[in-house]
Amino acid sequence: MANILFTRAGVLKGMQRLLPVSLFVVPFGIAYGVAATEQGLGPFQATAMSGLVFTATAQFAALDFLEEPIAFFSLGLVVLALSGRHIIMSAALSRWINQLPVKRRLVTLAFLSDANFADFQTSLQRGENDLGTLLGGGLMLWLAWVGSTAAGAFGGDLIGKTDHLGFDVVMICFFAATVFGAVRSSTRMFLPVVAAMAVSALTYTILPTGWNIIFAALVGGAVAVVYHAE
Amino acid sequence: MLSDGSYILMVTVMAAAAFLTRIAGSVFMAWVALTPKSERFLEGLSVSVIAALVASLLMSGDVKTGVATLLALIAMALFRSVVWAMLAGMICAAAYSFVFSL
Repeated sequence: MANILFTRAGVLKGMQRLLPVSLFVVPFGIAYGVAATEQGLGPFQATAMSGLVFTATAQFAALDFLEEPIAFFSLGLVVLALSGRHIIMSAALSRWINQLPVKRRLVTLAFLSDANFADFQTSLQRGENDLGTLLGGGLMLWLAWVGSTAAGAFGGDLIGKTDHLGFDVVMICFFAATVFGAVRSSTRMFLPVVAAMAVSALTYTILPTGWNIIFAALVGGAVAVVYHAE
Repeated sequence: MLSDGSYILMVTVMAAAAFLTRIAGSVFMAWVALTPKSERFLEGLSVSVIAALVASLLMSGDVKTGVATLLALIAMALFRSVVWAMLAGMICAAAYSFVFSL
């Protein structure tokens, strides 16, 4: 079993480390706040949704469901598909996170997001093992997401559009750089990464959005098992 | 405008589904015995899921997204810093938008 820590210092460190990424979340949060209020949610409703759901892609998709009567079942399936990659991340974290007491485990996982997952992977490669950083990073992202949703929902008209400033590419650059770092620090991850990217791209038009990522990740995992055996 | 009841039910459904995806992997793995093979599978998964997300975002993005990502990778190779990679990608995308809006 891998040794783990869960410290308050780690939580603070995680918050600090995810601060730059969180700043880049702000334009998306503002955009969501503006879009949600334009589609008929109240500003408090939009902000509360960001606080409780904390999944950008699924929340944007849910704006198409605001007509009464709401198709609750379809809505649930859409959220499951769009944030289904978190199932994979949660499983990948299990070696570490399942050593925490159940309550701590659930609280930490409640703040699991793509960016703090990616950051935690990087920190593991450096030999760190403090799950507090995962929670802290998630808290920082959550604060940025909820705060910026509120800013957009309550004062969107004052802020205006920020598309042309290049914020829209920041998250993909962060994830791409993380993958690059992971492959450099363990080159046996090269083939799984190439396989996952190829499968994800090739199935992008065939599978519903979200499922292509899950399928591709599973293929990458399988390649990691086979490649090692050879 | 939604009724309060519909809103509350809607948020409950979404929050429950989102929370479920976050805990499901961990709960499932608590029932599975770890072998060297399954550990390698999980290790492969952890990098692959981010790689798959990148590929999917590239597919849904435009040329600007691709160029910015490439520049971010170059910055990452040179400076070994994720923050520099993000800044490089962002500046590239802003410059791209500026040039093509002239």
